[in-house]
Amino acid sequence: MASRRKLLLKIIILGDSGVGKTALMNQYVNKKFSNQYKATIGADFLTKEVMVDNRIVTLQIWDTAGQERFQSLGVAFYRGADGCILVFDTTSMNSFASLDAWRDEFLIQSSPKNTENFPFVVLGNKIDLENRAVSTKRAQKWCQTKNNIPYFETSAKEAVNVEQAFETIAKSAIALEKEEIYNDFPGDIILDRDNKPNNGAACNC
Amino acid sequence: MNCVSDYAHSNEYNSFRSSVPLKTIIVDPDSSKGWKIYDSGPRSISTPLIFLPPVSGTADVYFKQLLSLGAKGYRVISAEHPVYWSVREWCEGFRRLIDYMGFYKVHIFGASLGGFLAQKFAEHVSSSRRVISLFLCNTFIDTSVFSYSESASLFWMLPSVVLKKMVMRNFNTSDVDSHIVDSIDFMVEKLDSLSQQDLASRLTINCVHSRVNPEKLSYVRMVTIMDVFDECALSTPVREKIYDCYKNAKLAHLKSGGNFPYLSRSDEVNLFLQIHLRTFEGTYLSASDNKDCSLS
Ligand SMILES: Nc1nc2c(ncn2[C@@H]2O[C@H](COP(=O)(O)OP(=O)(O)OP(=O)(O)O)[C@@H](O)[C@H]2O)c(=O)[nH]1
Ligand SMILES: [Mg+2]
Repeated sequence: MASRRKLLLKIIILGDSGVGKTALMNQYVNKKFSNQYKATIGADFLTKEVMVDNRIVTLQIWDTAGQERFQSLGVAFYRGADGCILVFDTTSMNSFASLDAWRDEFLIQSSPKNTENFPFVVLGNKIDLENRAVSTKRAQKWCQTKNNIPYFETSAKEAVNVEQAFETIAKSAIALEKEEIYNDFPGDIILDRDNKPNNGAACNC
Repeated sequence: MNCVSDYAHSNEYNSFRSSVPLKTIIVDPDSSKGWKIYDSGPRSISTPLIFLPPVSGTADVYFKQLLSLGAKGYRVISAEHPVYWSVREWCEGFRRLIDYMGFYKVHIFGASLGGFLAQKFAEHVSSSRRVISLFLCNTFIDTSVFSYSESASLFWMLPSVVLKKMVMRNFNTSDVDSHIVDSIDFMVEKLDSLSQQDLASRLTINCVHSRVNPEKLSYVRMVTIMDVFDECALSTPVREKIYDCYKNAKLAHLKSGGNFPYLSRSDEVNLFLQIHLRTFEGTYLSASDNKDCSLS
């Protein structure tokens, strides 16, 4: 491979209405936060260029509407997704309880090649608020049972852990991509496993 | 040609041709010159999205957009121009076309040469602000990216075969998936159907030196730039130049799709188009009659 192809990663953010999906995306891409709530309609996307593992990567981040679930988005929406960010609100038990449904629906709709290792991260958002309803332990436990999904506690408002969370999903998406390239060429002998970030233990903050 | 591409005999294409009539609209004093028009979706909308084809294309290359968006309540029109030899002549012709059709303001989608002309038109009518939004696909802001500007003045006299070869040079058929192969087959057929005059005039406009003045386009309310990350006729520096030009544009990248993603990746392109147009839904500039704005 003489010229490295530019890499585009498609990342989809899912979670109940009001948990802060749009706020997290805006904080990450535009470094902005607004207290005002305006429900997302359908879907929207933003792009951001980042350096990951010494490589320029373009992230195409898709924000969805928590209200609509999946009915209204076509298959084109999920096609070629490289990673999925599941968000709940640490002050709302219901939003945490919905994670299972969001994850299942994502896997059904996008039917990725590799369901077991598909890159997810879970974000418990709004940790700047006092009235916490979901404990760190509880969230971590759920993540462990789902094949060790990395878990972050974030605040879109105060920009806590937002960068780290997006960076983690980008890294695991790249790692998966590499693996798939190797799998496509079974003749290749050297598998560069060392470069692969350890999914399970990425972060437990 | 006796071999017909997969797209040309697909049910989808046939249903397009049988449901959307091809009209010719003459807006020039020379009555042999006519715009070829496909018009789909609700007639009540007077701020439609108009598609402009690339050098090699005819108006039907956007059949997948017209079918799908038309059915979703968007007024979508594909417009192929008659022989015009300069950007200025083209802009005047296009202005007369939309005047004739009764549109004061329009959204424009343009691919390659179509995208360049869309920008030049927006510039041409900047004082009357007639372009609401631009959706630019695999396009450029400066014709000097093509190496032919020296010889452009001779295109009018070159035989078709030579002109076709110039265009086909850019069609990369190695190492691509079946959708891209189909899209190229279809475009080659379209290219073959063009007259020497059509092709020579398009290539002349494409290659005579001219560039977009982005300052005059600041009134355009929304710009989406779509490009593909796999092989296509435009190099990375050319694409980056257009990003620089539209700092606030939405960048709709596709992982792959080749030169003609509106054919090879039509459902993804249609999704990006809906997101682009949704910004205006519910306002007097909307291209659709939807009251709610879901993406269904
Ligand atoms: N205190 C605090 N408020 C937040 C945080 N993140 C988001 N919010 C607020 O929560 C509300 C909802 O945030 P959004 O980002 O719009 O929620 P969403 O998940 O995009 O909701 P839908 O678009 O309906 O799916 C807004 O008022 C935000 O200002 C956070 O980290 N801390
Ligand atoms: Mg939202």
